Amino acid sequence: MTTTDHRRPSADDPRVLLDEQVGMYEPVPPYPPRTEREAEFYTLGDGQLLINIGPHHPATHGVMRVVMKLSGETIVDLDPVLGYLHRGVEKLCENADLHQTIAYLDPLEYVSSLFCEWPAVMAYEKLLDVEVPRRAEYIRVLTGELNRVSSHLLAMGFHALDLGGLTPILYSFIERDEIVEMLASITGQRMLFNYFRIGGVNGDLNHEFMSRLGDWMSRATEQIEANVGLLNENEIFVRRNRGVGVMDPELAIKMCWTGPNLRASGVPFDIRRAHPYSVYPELDFDIPTRLEGDSLARYLLRVDEVKQSLRIIDQCLHQMPDGPVMAKLPRLLRPRPGRAFAAVEGPRGEYAIYAVSDGTDQPFRFRIHDPSFLHLQSFGRLVPGKLIADWMTVNASLDPIMGGIDK
Amino acid sequence: MTAVARAWSRLTLPGKVVFTLIPLLAVLTSGLIAAIVLFGGPVVEVLNANLGVVRFVAAATIILVITIPIAFLNIYLEMKVIALMNLRIGPDRVGPWGTALSVVHGLKVLMKEDFTPSGADPVVFTWAPVVTYAAAVLTIVVLPFAPGLYGQDFNIGLLYFFAMGGLGVVGLLMGGWASFNKYSLLGGLRSAAQIISYEIPLTLSVVGLLILAGTMSLNTIVEQQDGWFANWYVFRQPLAFVIFFIAATAEANRTPFDLTEADSEIVAGFATEYSGMRFGFFFFAEYVNVFILSALTVVLFLGGWNAPFEIDPLLDWIGGVLPGLGITTPVTVALDPGGLGLPLLFLILLVPPLGTLLFAAPFYLLRSSMRWWVALIIGFLLFNVVAGGLVMAWAYVSFEWVAGLLWFLGKTFVFVFVFVWMRGTLPRVRIDQLMGFAWKWLLPAALLNLFVTAFAVVLVRS
Repeated sequence: MTTTDHRRPSADDPRVLLDEQVGMYEPVPPYPPRTEREAEFYTLGDGQLLINIGPHHPATHGVMRVVMKLSGETIVDLDPVLGYLHRGVEKLCENADLHQTIAYLDPLEYVSSLFCEWPAVMAYEKLLDVEVPRRAEYIRVLTGELNRVSSHLLAMGFHALDLGGLTPILYSFIERDEIVEMLASITGQRMLFNYFRIGGVNGDLNHEFMSRLGDWMSRATEQIEANVGLLNENEIFVRRNRGVGVMDPELAIKMCWTGPNLRASGVPFDIRRAHPYSVYPELDFDIPTRLEGDSLARYLLRVDEVKQSLRIIDQCLHQMPDGPVMAKLPRLLRPRPGRAFAAVEGPRGEYAIYAVSDGTDQPFRFRIHDPSFLHLQSFGRLVPGKLIADWMTVNASLDPIMGGIDK
Repeated sequence: MTAVARAWSRLTLPGKVVFTLIPLLAVLTSGLIAAIVLFGGPVVEVLNANLGVVRFVAAATIILVITIPIAFLNIYLEMKVIALMNLRIGPDRVGPWGTALSVVHGLKVLMKEDFTPSGADPVVFTWAPVVTYAAAVLTIVVLPFAPGLYGQDFNIGLLYFFAMGGLGVVGLLMGGWASFNKYSLLGGLRSAAQIISYEIPLTLSVVGLLILAGTMSLNTIVEQQDGWFANWYVFRQPLAFVIFFIAATAEANRTPFDLTEADSEIVAGFATEYSGMRFGFFFFAEYVNVFILSALTVVLFLGGWNAPFEIDPLLDWIGGVLPGLGITTPVTVALDPGGLGLPLLFLILLVPPLGTLLFAAPFYLLRSSMRWWVALIIGFLLFNVVAGGLVMAWAYVSFEWVAGLLWFLGKTFVFVFVFVWMRGTLPRVRIDQLMGFAWKWLLPAALLNLFVTAFAVVLVRS
């Protein structure tokens, strides 16, 4: 039996044969469709084309690939392809002792690392029955809220960058740089802090941190107001966001949304209030919500949250007690057999760790819950029927971080 | 033979070059002289008979050459101004304040690999940047830079401008189609849709002005706007000015209408697969387009080469109040260097060193820590600044075209700055908003402007 060879040699390298029938750059998987959904997705209708956004694309916020089925500029269907950044963090953590796991968790959410460490140390503290000193709890809240501000600033800047605005991202980075520098002065790192410890934090606040924080707090509110004014009062920015990617509250709850994205749909759910942890019950702050549920609401909600975080930081500085920052713990930690779940409210939603211990110094099972992954899976609900540019808006407003999604 | 070879091998590299060039130059020069003697007369006659064509070719060549510094200047402006708006430093390494960086960018683009993707249509792929760049360059031919300083004064100048400017989209579409890339294809389609839509309000907004001017010759339009700045068409056609500038932004593919190369959506649009100098031509064409559209805005609405004020009535008035000053208008500087005769040579020789010493003296005398050679360098630079300023002032007064060119370039670069400013400030619009804005707002506004203008003209004339 002879088959017709549709391949022809490439112009650059005659040894490379190009398949003319499929087309070189068609993002079609090299295997026959495995599911009905796959078969339906990769069957093109009249005037439709498949296009790859990613894995390296300026607007994917990391290494994500989205195959889009387009009809002209309109997105008919889309299929996010994940796993380009998968490192098997859960398995790594199951083969490390408790202290080592904290360092593995940092790069998951590389713009808000403290919120990856926090649920892990909380879960271990539950397993070990450790009482954390109050000063350590206050320091955790203080640094965590600083990290939340820096993360939200970055999200706001990249939102503008994805819509084509060059300047806001740099203004955001000015403030973020200041925060990162002051956190670096107590943690020794600018991005992956590795600061929280089981039973406390790694070091007490120092002079450099306090002086930088005082300087920054005295001008932070006006500075951030001025920066977001460039976008909030910009007609083009508002029009591109309003009514794009609208999520209704019921569906948001069904899709397991949390964090600012959920609150922008009108559900006032915040783990700091719903399941209080650390010293949040002692602090006075509001849970901002918005009813629209579109990209603009998600953006504006982050602006509101930054203001609330500044309030919390202020209160922490005034209420911070003296005392130790670490509980007294044995050198080798062997938790009791059992399981513990801990969740914190991160800048993108609920970060949670479910740790199972079998009595050794390593976790038996270590499950990481990441909010970005759950937000990302609702693309199929938010985007079809919109234009390519709307996908960038929705993606920027959901603010996913690929490190946590691919784990 | 061996002696010649030995002598040749002893020469240094520059020596070899010079010894090769001298006979070549001699042969070529004698050939040229012979050609001029033999065929000079007929050639001159032919050229004389077709003076218009010759002038057009010469103008096109000169314009092709001047687009390069214009593009370099725009690129530098964009880098530096956006950097300052972003609170960055921007280019500051190559040349003073980084001014030579755009030249280095040009060299980099020249040295890069000129890559054609397999699957691309090589002919169309190669010619696309040529078409875009040629369209940008050809429009400069009708731009009046200064009195007497223009390529060609067509009586359909404006029509020619729009026709040539509209050609640019053909290049973008060719590039988008031939690249064999879906991003490029989407970019090409976007550019076609966008530029065709915005051509209409762009052209219609000017029709009201044409009714007032009664001509399409850009030179005549500029001449109609002389005198005080109140004569500029922007005060008679304010709506047209706004529409024209918005549509021009879309024509030049600049933020907020830079959808054809929206980097966060379709990577680089039509230019995704381009590299090397072919990409450079697209890049150059964009910056030349920014200059051209700014220049056209200035020519049509802001008086072109005319100064915004008339200096003569003011001087007349001062002369009337203070007759002792002896001011006479128009101001002329009577300089006849040839009248000095042989002393002119001494003047040319003596003025620079004396001037340098004069400017260096205060620095050297007043600051004890100043080294003499540092003082001399400062003095030399200061002398150059002052002498250059004096020469410029003399040229400004004496030559009409110098004054015109200065005003024209000054106004144009204000608009180039506005383009850069918008790029630094605004996000990008969406494609449906872009098209809706053109068809639902700009086009009716342009028609309204045309209707009101025509109505007013009929009322005034009847």
